[in-house]
Amino acid sequence: MPPTSFEQLAVGYEFPPTSYQLTETVISKYVEAVGGQQDFLKSGVVPPLAIAAYAMDALAKSFSVPPGSIHASQELEFLKVVPIGSTISCGGKIAQKVERGRLNLVVLEINAINQDKEKVLTGKATIAIPQM
Amino acid sequence: MDQKLKLSEIHQGDSLPSVVKHVTQKDINLYAEASGDFNPIHVDEAFAAQTPLGGTIAHGMLILAYMSEVMTEAFGDRWLERGKLSVRFKAPARPQDTITARGKIDSIEDKEGVAYVNCSLECCNQKGETVIVGGAVVKL
Repeated sequence: MPPTSFEQLAVGYEFPPTSYQLTETVISKYVEAVGGQQDFLKSGVVPPLAIAAYAMDALAKSFSVPPGSIHASQELEFLKVVPIGSTISCGGKIAQKVERGRLNLVVLEINAINQDKEKVLTGKATIAIPQM
Repeated sequence: MDQKLKLSEIHQGDSLPSVVKHVTQKDINLYAEASGDFNPIHVDEAFAAQTPLGGTIAHGMLILAYMSEVMTEAFGDRWLERGKLSVRFKAPARPQDTITARGKIDSIEDKEGVAYVNCSLECCNQKGETVIVGGAVVKL
């Protein structure tokens, strides 16, 4: 998918809902990458930041930002313990766009629910996108 | 996940257990593979060298995971099901940086029988520069 420019992003755009499974293999890989969080594997629980990271990745499959875009801020609320093996469905929308000098900022709202339709996470990410 | 700090044992001004991590390009590449975020600013050294950042940087969510680890160490499952954070990414974390994630309890509020523990959180590099700053609330 070609990178979507700042101008193409419409406030209110809702990402198509998508789902992903947090298998032991997936979480083992995540735990190895962040290091030192082996207790999650022993407890059979998904690290909360992993839920957020995979939700953002799932949304990114329908939306690309230009290379060089960086994370400016993040809000997250964790609402439920997620056992390893859970299937998470996530959605999101573009909540805000701000042009500030040479910075283009896009605010994304994300939410994630488990297979029992319980909300497990909500959040808001601000991405700084380079002017193209 | 065990809750290390009990409500009866915590006080305003208490420090939370710190987490110290040395970040390498290998860690960043592993995180890219795990998260699916292959933005070249993280993994393509030639590309990153041509940007204003001058080189690759770690994913913000990787460094934020260290901050979350501080909260998990302190509050266990309560963080996983009743936690809330708000942070700003102030500076990039680069390969070979040593990142210290730390926090402290700013206040404890009682609202209708539920204790809201308000914490300030910060990740700094080895030069003392703030990489991430923000706050978190956990309900006990």
